[in-house]
Amino acid sequence: MTPATPVTPATPVTQADTAATPGSDLLLEVRHLVQEYVLRDYGGTKGGVLQAVSDVSFEVHAGETLGIVGETGSGKSTLARSVIQAPPPKHGEVIFEGTDLVRLPHRAMKSVRRHLQMVFQDPFTSLDPRWTVSRIVAEPLIAYSVGSRRERRERVDALLDLVGLEPARYGARHPRALSGGQAQRVAIARALVLEPKLILCDEPVSSLDVLVQAQVLNLFEKLRAELGLSYLFIAHDLAMVKQVSDRVAVMYLGKLCEVGPVRAIFSEPLHPYTLALLDTIPSPEPPARKRDVASVISGEPPSPLDPPSGCRFRTRCPRAAELCAAEVPQLRALGDGRQVACHFPLSGLAQASATRAPLPLMRGRAGASGD
Amino acid sequence: MAVPVAEVLPPALPSGDLAAVGRLSGARRLLRSLEIAAPAAVLLVLLFSCFIWPIVYPVPKPTGGSILGAGLPMWSPGHIFGTDTVGNDIMSRILYGGRVSFEVAAAVQVIGLVVGGLLGMVAGYAGRAVEAVLMRTLDVFIAFPSLVLVLAIVDSLGQSEVNVIWALSAFSIPAFARVARAATLQVRDQPFVVAARLSSVKTWRILAGHIAPNLLPQLLTFSLLGAGVTIILEGALDFLGYGIPDPAASWGKMIASGQAMLSVSPGLVIVPSIFLFVTVVALNMLGDGLRAVWGVR
Amino acid sequence: MSGGTALLDVSDLRVTFRSHGGVVNAVQGVSFSVEPGQTVAIIGESGSGKTVSAYAMMGLLPRSAQVSGSIRCNGVELVGCGEKQLRDHRGRIVAMVFQDPGRSLNPTMRIGPQITEAIRCHLPLDRAQAHERAVELLRMVRLPTPERRFYEYPHQLSGGMRQRVVIAIALAGEPRLLLADEATTALDVTTQAQIMDLLLDLQQELGTALVMISHDLALAASYAEEVLVMYAGKVVERAATRELFGNVAMPYTRALLKAIPRVEQEPHELLPVIGGRPPDLSTIVPGCSFAPRCPDAQDDCRQEQPQLEQHESGHWWACWHPCGKEAAQ
Repeated sequence: MTPATPVTPATPVTQADTAATPGSDLLLEVRHLVQEYVLRDYGGTKGGVLQAVSDVSFEVHAGETLGIVGETGSGKSTLARSVIQAPPPKHGEVIFEGTDLVRLPHRAMKSVRRHLQMVFQDPFTSLDPRWTVSRIVAEPLIAYSVGSRRERRERVDALLDLVGLEPARYGARHPRALSGGQAQRVAIARALVLEPKLILCDEPVSSLDVLVQAQVLNLFEKLRAELGLSYLFIAHDLAMVKQVSDRVAVMYLGKLCEVGPVRAIFSEPLHPYTLALLDTIPSPEPPARKRDVASVISGEPPSPLDPPSGCRFRTRCPRAAELCAAEVPQLRALGDGRQVACHFPLSGLAQASATRAPLPLMRGRAGASGD
Repeated sequence: MAVPVAEVLPPALPSGDLAAVGRLSGARRLLRSLEIAAPAAVLLVLLFSCFIWPIVYPVPKPTGGSILGAGLPMWSPGHIFGTDTVGNDIMSRILYGGRVSFEVAAAVQVIGLVVGGLLGMVAGYAGRAVEAVLMRTLDVFIAFPSLVLVLAIVDSLGQSEVNVIWALSAFSIPAFARVARAATLQVRDQPFVVAARLSSVKTWRILAGHIAPNLLPQLLTFSLLGAGVTIILEGALDFLGYGIPDPAASWGKMIASGQAMLSVSPGLVIVPSIFLFVTVVALNMLGDGLRAVWGVR
Repeated sequence: MSGGTALLDVSDLRVTFRSHGGVVNAVQGVSFSVEPGQTVAIIGESGSGKTVSAYAMMGLLPRSAQVSGSIRCNGVELVGCGEKQLRDHRGRIVAMVFQDPGRSLNPTMRIGPQITEAIRCHLPLDRAQAHERAVELLRMVRLPTPERRFYEYPHQLSGGMRQRVVIAIALAGEPRLLLADEATTALDVTTQAQIMDLLLDLQQELGTALVMISHDLALAASYAEEVLVMYAGKVVERAATRELFGNVAMPYTRALLKAIPRVEQEPHELLPVIGGRPPDLSTIVPGCSFAPRCPDAQDDCRQEQPQLEQHESGHWWACWHPCGKEAAQ
């Protein structure tokens, strides 16, 4: 049924790994996802094909948060949209609770959508400016005909309370009368109202101020702990992803570079791009600028329309060799739940720079891709 | 000496500090509301005069005048604007004619907004085949020069106020459909619509609850501007003899029939022209003012 | 606070706007100075007044803004200045780099002419000389193949490259002060680092002073010599970078520091953050603007507004009960 995952003989990354680990509750499994955009030239003719997501596979287990980090053009937002089938991906499988969403008929999607919700980046465009807060949060309940009108109202009020908004004060307001943080809380309440299992968060705090960001991130954490939610958390900020995630996946130009438990990724990155991302995080603690010679990243990001042959990162990688141009590196499991797509992964190169004290490498937690 | 754009004009005022601040000073604000209040007041006065005033106050009849009283000049006792060539009081013809003009304009706009708006919204939301079929069908109507199309319809249906309305609607429906479709395309991909689809909200609910309310400002301002055009088109029809049948009046008709007597009694043409002008300008100003307030492009 | 040699000397700057709701006091008495060649960061959240202050320094505020106080730049008083004088000042003495490079550049014009236009505006060069200078500027901002890029359109460049072009335009008039208003916020992390490095290197080469305006405290820490923290239209703390982060005085600054997700933090830890929002700028309440949210607030904080004063050498703050200091000032 599934095509064999192209890997080196050592440790294939397939469903077998997760099946082998008892008690693992595989919530979402994405396999070889490909999403393309067709670009129109003048006159509407086909100008070129942009492969925004290129053969991406990963898993999310129940109760865990997978952080996906990438810069502009990495395809992370497109990935999120493909998972919720808006629009469906060109190739690949999205298996949610055992059902492949890509092949699912439209009508059957309705029952799936209850459990899979999304929070968008800009709360002011993800909430209808003409609707009141209560109506916005109640909308999914009406769509699924849940409860009577009174029951719905009670549920909406309970949720507004849960996200820290007083229903009496905020229920009748319109989004434009809210601040960015408050509006995002409304969006979160709406995502929660049907009691989903997995929430896709597409840069949910990027457009907020620092203090508000922290407040909303804390809210995500609180909800995760109280409701047992799983998140697919997309961000461009590595530090933010560290706070909320159990595992992290790093994307570059449509492909996954590295996946692993969060502490391991931060203390011992295996992919040069991950190291570069870590190094560019400015730190408030002096001494300020650290320039790790081995991780200097050069040049401009290549155009996603015409990605480099072989490893897409090779044009900016200080360790690039001939093999990197010739062969596409596959995502390989290296034990302890770590996967990396690199011909020459870093190892033991995690310097104790002033801001990154090496943490003990975490043993693969129960439920992560086993070894 | 030209100063580079990048130095003088910040690309866009940033959100937060400055966006929270309205850039209008006190005087400007008054003007803005005057832009809306003034034309609205003018239109209200006109509507009142045409529809309500004749019911309340005994105004001479617009038709059936006697030849004996024909050709009276302006400011004659009992006839403020004088009488026309067959003895009808011009003032009352203005008022009753105004009724016709407004009725036709309102009816055409409402039909256009409802039918055209609906078609455009469905076409824009559904996309692909549905959109192609609907829009190409409407394109057929747009392809005709408006006046030719309208003339043809009236000619085949016969002259009457109702038929004039149908004929003008054939022109307004495609226009509204285009505006509605373009606006729908903008709204359709907004995250809040995507979010609604993600919650499996039924399509008709999305259209009615999310799309339509966000289309209304644009469609309403468009209809105000269109009303002016409609009145003028109706006048053109009368001018060509395809409009409302005798002896009913409309402003366009009065202008049309009065032009023969232009040298003798210019008032026959000038008075309705002034009313027509004021009405169309007021409608346009109101449309512009509302457009500025609602931020519609 | 103001030396005779200061390049930019801002004194009691106040900016108010008239709006529907009333009057918005965007900037309420800001004073600071910038020495030639210095790197200063102005940090604040939305509504703190940092961008309005920057625009005031460039003379870019809309006419509905009322500006009072003093902004002396290179000896010239800018407040109340005529448009002609402002035009001489902009680009030649002070240049600005805005946030979104996609909108700072004219999309219908090639890059080269956009730079030469700026050059010829300020320097008496003919077309050929301006062309040469433009290519040189592109080289200075480390744009690869500058001769070719001269003829390209903005959409052919990536975000980072476009921002470099914007910097080149800003440098065209050989300004003595560069204002970077969230210049790297819209860029990727890796590009951000490159652009900041470029700005600092250019500073060293050309001796330009740099004022970076940002909400990103960590960025300021990594690249600035001196940091000003603004809240609700006022400067609440000012110190050399190391001093500020090592010896935080204002509870607001401390709250900002604590709220940044740090790489060193444990995952799933709640960030220590204070609640509430910045105050409404249309009303002036007595007392410290931060008092409603301050965990250390006491009665005198709510009654009288603390002024910005130099309490320790090189460290100014406006607080009655600063963190870790004993007696109230």
